[in-house]
Amino acid sequence: MAEEFNAEGMLDMYLFENGQLLEQLQETVLEQKDADCFDEESINEIFRTMHTIKGSSGIMMFDDIMAVSHKLEDVFYFLRESHPDNVPHLELVEHVLEVSDFITGEMDKLQNGDPADGDSSELIKELDQFLTSIQGDSEKAGTKPPPKSEHVEPKQFYIAPVATSASHFYKIYITFFPETEMSNVHAYKTVYALKEIAEDLLYSPEDIIADASSAETILEEGFRILLQAQCTEEDIRNIVNEGYDIQRVDIYECSAEEFVHGFDFGGHKSEIDLESDVEEIEKKANEDKEASRGQAKASAKKPEMAPGDFVIKSKEPGKKKKLARDKPKGEKASFISVNVSKMDQLMDLIGELVISESVVLQNPDLKVPGLNLNSFNKAAAQMSKISTDLQNVIMSMRMVPLTNTFQKMNRIVFDVSRKLGKDIEFEMIGEQTEVDKNIIEHISDPLMHMVRNAVDHGIESNEERKEAGKAEKGKVTLSAKTEAGKVWISVEDNGKGLDREALLAKARKQGLLDDNKPDSAYSDKEVYQFITLPGFSTKEQVTEYSGRGVGMDVVVQNIQSIGGALEIDSTPGFGSVMSLKIPLTLAIVNGIVMETGNSSFVLETAVIKEFFSVTEDMMIHEPNGEEYVMIRGECFPVIRLGKWYDLKEEYQESVEKGMMLILEVEDKKICLFVDRLIGEQEIVVKPIPSYIKKVKGLSGCTQLGDGSIALILDPGGLIA
Amino acid sequence: MDEISELRNQIDDELLGTSNGHDAQKDKYMTFKSGSEYFGLKIQYVNEIIQFQTITEIPETEDYIKGLINLRGKVIPVIDVRLRFKQEPFEYNDRTCIIVISVKSTVVGLIVEKIAEVVEISDKNILPPPTIGNTDKAHHKYVYGIGKIGDTVKLLLDPDKLINDDDLEGVEQVNESNNEEGD
Repeated sequence: MAEEFNAEGMLDMYLFENGQLLEQLQETVLEQKDADCFDEESINEIFRTMHTIKGSSGIMMFDDIMAVSHKLEDVFYFLRESHPDNVPHLELVEHVLEVSDFITGEMDKLQNGDPADGDSSELIKELDQFLTSIQGDSEKAGTKPPPKSEHVEPKQFYIAPVATSASHFYKIYITFFPETEMSNVHAYKTVYALKEIAEDLLYSPEDIIADASSAETILEEGFRILLQAQCTEEDIRNIVNEGYDIQRVDIYECSAEEFVHGFDFGGHKSEIDLESDVEEIEKKANEDKEASRGQAKASAKKPEMAPGDFVIKSKEPGKKKKLARDKPKGEKASFISVNVSKMDQLMDLIGELVISESVVLQNPDLKVPGLNLNSFNKAAAQMSKISTDLQNVIMSMRMVPLTNTFQKMNRIVFDVSRKLGKDIEFEMIGEQTEVDKNIIEHISDPLMHMVRNAVDHGIESNEERKEAGKAEKGKVTLSAKTEAGKVWISVEDNGKGLDREALLAKARKQGLLDDNKPDSAYSDKEVYQFITLPGFSTKEQVTEYSGRGVGMDVVVQNIQSIGGALEIDSTPGFGSVMSLKIPLTLAIVNGIVMETGNSSFVLETAVIKEFFSVTEDMMIHEPNGEEYVMIRGECFPVIRLGKWYDLKEEYQESVEKGMMLILEVEDKKICLFVDRLIGEQEIVVKPIPSYIKKVKGLSGCTQLGDGSIALILDPGGLIA
Repeated sequence: MDEISELRNQIDDELLGTSNGHDAQKDKYMTFKSGSEYFGLKIQYVNEIIQFQTITEIPETEDYIKGLINLRGKVIPVIDVRLRFKQEPFEYNDRTCIIVISVKSTVVGLIVEKIAEVVEISDKNILPPPTIGNTDKAHHKYVYGIGKIGDTVKLLLDPDKLINDDDLEGVEQVNESNNEEGD
């Protein structure tokens, strides 16, 4: 990132870090949305996330974000400390998501250079109510509420450890270097370290972690600790020593009396150490619980019906208790974030390298007869290997798992189904599938449309499902797999499926059908494709989410722009499947280089089914100039590339001297006639400069081994 | 060849002047010959001058768009200025040059008959193109001024209008008037 430490850089950092945190947060929350409560780890994680966001927002002076994250932190503080039994889990999930949405929204504004002017007071009010309600409930359930949070005036729950005669009492004054950043964190580190030996510990200023402004106080007034421990001054010095952050440490031994008296400087007295405080309370709370219910359960996870809980629970009759599953914690991979443009540059350079490599290795100078190239060839082979590896590595660097994209869909299902009052289970399969980053950017929106459609139109309402004798809970499955160099992403629902009759009727009304053709002449696939036409929606009611007839056409457009296709399949009464078939990567493809006249063209290897030399008698000429070729009893339309593009130079006229290529795109087959084939090569796809208007049948260009440029043919464009 | 290298050096020198601020480039024009006229382009639009190289033709485009060239790994389109002005095409040879210009982040190569020199024309020597009747109006489409150097004049080109084809009608009219001139 930027070397200079300016506000701009800080904002970038702020947005980047918090964006990641929020993403992680959403993932955690959604993972456990179907559980009855969050597991302890997640509660801690959400608490920490909110804490971090609060802190950094405070530094950046985004007060609303700070306030709202603070409030949510309070809620999770309460959850963490008192393990209330009966939190309406879904409501909590919604609150967390709302907060995360609010912050994301504000961050979007900041990203666009607008001020973060959103008003969080409504959210805070809701959270307050929520907190009060769960606190009220938990009190009834017999759990003692803990102190609300650090910043709240201390309720002294603190039970002083008994001082033994071996205990010493110390006053420690720590002075930080004035330029120390985040001195409150440094101070906390010290406190944390001292806790190891401390019997009792008090410090001032108090809420060093919660309150970022305490950093200033610490810098100005120093950091003061009262310590009761069985150790010598030397031991303390070993723990708290002067270093790059701490300028000076003063330690004075004092009497127990003085210690109890606390800090003899003005202002608010001492604050107790939170962690040990917490432990006490936890213990106490658990004891209470055990006493009152005779249940020896450390982390109370068993849900208990309570008034506030009932409403939500009744929506899920017969739902089995499900504990949030434990996530296996693998070893943490380390990441660095790299600017995408640098990646693209690297990609380009490697492309160049591959090309110049072939320029060297296929240099005409090497073709001089009588040269002994043995060692050259060995070295060349080694070099080719390395450059291939290099290419693979850069490709894999650009490959990103679909996990994040899928997680977003999870969120959409959750939101939409809640709003529509549908009960929907969401399953993800193969979210680890890796796809080129560019492609992921292109499929996110289309997928969103498809998932929304599945939830909104696909899955029937709970009542309808019951009537149809189906399980009330609908299911949407999002799956991804790689097959034959393509990625398949399907959205499957077990809803009512597409209504062929309704689609046909609508199509008829819109004049899309041939009036002379009966309905039965249209195959199911053809009929289903109608929904991808602009302005085509059979939904009578327009909902917030879908039904305006825009959407599916946009989906298809987006998918086609990256060389993908959409397939729709449906079984009435049992649901529908929409599958996206997209290429793995856009950047490097295997291509066949061919020539017509003096022009070189490239075709993606995957679309070429066969090469064929034909004889004149296999050709069929129509009077209007169209040609067909008969191969093994099958008749293919023929495109002569030279004629198609009306090339000025001479090109092969006789079919017997040229080469036929059979191409297959989307179940259609055609023959392409070219002068000659040059060979297969890995090509780096480059766009044709936008200055040149789009030419039908061309999708890009690439550099050949000799540095010249070849045009990449787009088979879809040739066939259409 | 020497002539070209010399010019290229001159251009490079001029372009290096950027670091000294824009003043060094102010009032400097790259001039080239097309047909019987000399044209001038503001030097800050000029990236570099390259030797003629193999052009990959693109089918189904305007005939003045000659195709694509590979400029050190970057694919850029090239247009033939004579054909752009609807003048008679000319034979390319190894003296033919391509002026690479960049206008609003579009990089385009201009194939010109002959590169002349870099000249300095101060603002006071630039006249608006004279208007006679309606037909000449079209001329303003890409000639925005006439620069005087001693007795000679250079037609100063607006590169944006030169490469963008949003006024086909105008081009036709220029064509007509050019033909008349040619006759």
